[in-house]
Amino acid sequence: MISVLIFGAVIGGIWALVASGFSLIFGVMRILNFGHGAIFVASAYMAIFVSKICYPLSLPSALLVGVLFGLMFYTITKPVRENEVAVIIVTLATALLIQQILLSIFGDRGLTMQPLLRGVVNLFGVRFTVMRIFSIVIALTVLIALEVMMRTRFGKKIEAVSEDFESAMLVGINVERVYIFVMVLSSILASLAGYFYVQIFSVNPELSLRALIYAFAIVILGGLGSVRGSILASFIIGYIVALTITLLGSRWSEFVMLLTIILTLIVKPSGIFGVEE
Amino acid sequence: MLRCLVALLMVVGCVGAEEIVVGVIGPMDLPEGKAELRAVQLAAEEINEKGGILGYKVKVIYGDTKLNPSVASSELRRLVDEGARVLIGGFSSGVMLAMMETMAEEKVVFLADCSSPRASAKVSENYEKYKYWFRISQNNGTTFAYDLADMISFLRGKGYDVKRVYIIRDEHIWTEDVMKALKPLLDDMGVEVVKDVPIPRGYSEFEQLIIEAEDMNADVIMPILAITGTDDILVKQWATLKPKILLAGHSLAAIDSGFYNRTEGSANYMVFIADGGALVTAPPTERCREFIESYKSKYGHYPESHQAYGAYDALYIYKLAVERANESGESDPFDPDTVVRYLEMFNESNPVELTRVIAFTSNHDLAWGDRYVRNWISQWQDGKQYIIHPKNVANGDLKLPDWFKKEEVKTPGFEIAVALVALIALALRRR
Repeated sequence: MISVLIFGAVIGGIWALVASGFSLIFGVMRILNFGHGAIFVASAYMAIFVSKICYPLSLPSALLVGVLFGLMFYTITKPVRENEVAVIIVTLATALLIQQILLSIFGDRGLTMQPLLRGVVNLFGVRFTVMRIFSIVIALTVLIALEVMMRTRFGKKIEAVSEDFESAMLVGINVERVYIFVMVLSSILASLAGYFYVQIFSVNPELSLRALIYAFAIVILGGLGSVRGSILASFIIGYIVALTITLLGSRWSEFVMLLTIILTLIVKPSGIFGVEE
Repeated sequence: MLRCLVALLMVVGCVGAEEIVVGVIGPMDLPEGKAELRAVQLAAEEINEKGGILGYKVKVIYGDTKLNPSVASSELRRLVDEGARVLIGGFSSGVMLAMMETMAEEKVVFLADCSSPRASAKVSENYEKYKYWFRISQNNGTTFAYDLADMISFLRGKGYDVKRVYIIRDEHIWTEDVMKALKPLLDDMGVEVVKDVPIPRGYSEFEQLIIEAEDMNADVIMPILAITGTDDILVKQWATLKPKILLAGHSLAAIDSGFYNRTEGSANYMVFIADGGALVTAPPTERCREFIESYKSKYGHYPESHQAYGAYDALYIYKLAVERANESGESDPFDPDTVVRYLEMFNESNPVELTRVIAFTSNHDLAWGDRYVRNWISQWQDGKQYIIHPKNVANGDLKLPDWFKKEEVKTPGFEIAVALVALIALALRRR
């Protein structure tokens, strides 16, 4: 049981970082950034590349990719922000372009990097890699920090923009500044997730689409626009995957996960914490 | 001389062109398809430099299966429509079984890459229909079972006792066939399969499986993986967890000469079977050694997958068959039915040495054995692949992982658990 607890938390933690950013963008800007998975993968590739030159710079470089891609996605979606379909097309096309670039530079086979922390810990008789435990701690810390930030003055501004951006403008909030911040912050969360993912697993360019599908499914399950819902849904998904592997077998893990999402949405179409339009 | 000239004139009349078209078909986005195309292009260049096949220049065209049976079948038909007289490639048994139907309709010789026994079974069951199909890249999947069982015997012979095996395999038609043959062999050896875990494509949570294998006291974690594409994650998590269980089985990715670097050295000590019968660092024939160097010189790197050897051999064996048909006075040495008869002459009593020693069985499988092509039992050791069994080709010996000798250091698990709980409690309090 302890193994299910830990494995579920790691899967959930990493996807929570990706999904919370995806959800934050939708909650505040009302756009679906289909390039989110590409940021996740591109950051992981940057970390691998830089780790071979100077390992300590691998994390900052991955986060830098997040900042730059965040600014890029803000810039390219700005002119089409009012048109939901155009946003999807622009971000998806950019994601596919990034995937092709990664494919031509790094090839289609998985790449990995040495974990930041090595070794194994023994928790109640079950062995886990230190990196997995560390990933849980980091993911929880970042998610808590995100929650704390939302309670600050700037966090209230973000919330105000997400509630009604026109009223927020009227009270003097610089909405564009909030949009830039949200886009960059979300991208950094995806980058951080990519960095920790490649510490435990490996990445290939195809993973960007998989990450996007996972994030999208989690966000829908949690309720579009609800960051808390996304985080909760990530952990639900993580535990479903870990439990299914243990009880039913690996082949059923994705099947049960997707079935849960479908059933939840039939019972509660707006998701767990859905924002009513 | 006159006879040859007459035959040549007849061929010109039959083919109606100054070139012979060779179609390469495979998943062109994957290393397997790329390697096949590049190897055939290399063989075609070499053959053209020496005058082609019976004076015809070899022209290479290609089709992309996209690992989709219906796409593959229509691509195969397109290649034939564009004049392909022989097809080389394939990859993935499910795709191959679909392509065999189109091949039979088009009556085109197909020197194929797939491992499912069901393909050659079709040749046995309906010879006239499927006789154009020959397996050239690797052995029939059933032989994987022989090699995996032989690997267990070899490990036991080296003093590593194997009683319990934990299998992680592709959830795919080809591993079903391997398992059917492997389970009785392991039973006969007194080896228990403690768990058989089929995994879907892209699966990544191996750590949980490795821990389960430890809990079940497995001696070997045996991957049988070619399609999943996440062999590198399995290897990384095994090398990180360092269980006292040997990772030994079939991993298509591990055969790739770049696997060690891509896994940052995690592949060290992994035992695998060299599907396709050749390794960059242990070529079984002189021709293989030359091919590997030519490939590197042309493309800047070693073959990206073992399919390169089969594809290269395919064009040369086709050339040999056509030339022998011509020497024997066949009216149309390129006629598919004629080519089939001459390919069948390369059998166990008359093998041909190319990059591997090729001989076909009566149902058009590659002959399996130490003298022919088999999945050599190999191991990654400090960045290099060594064949460790059988003796006639071995260039190295088994090395057990260095962590097998070390005592495990107890880690402060309870303290870490308490710290985690405290962190979560703090978070809840803040809310």
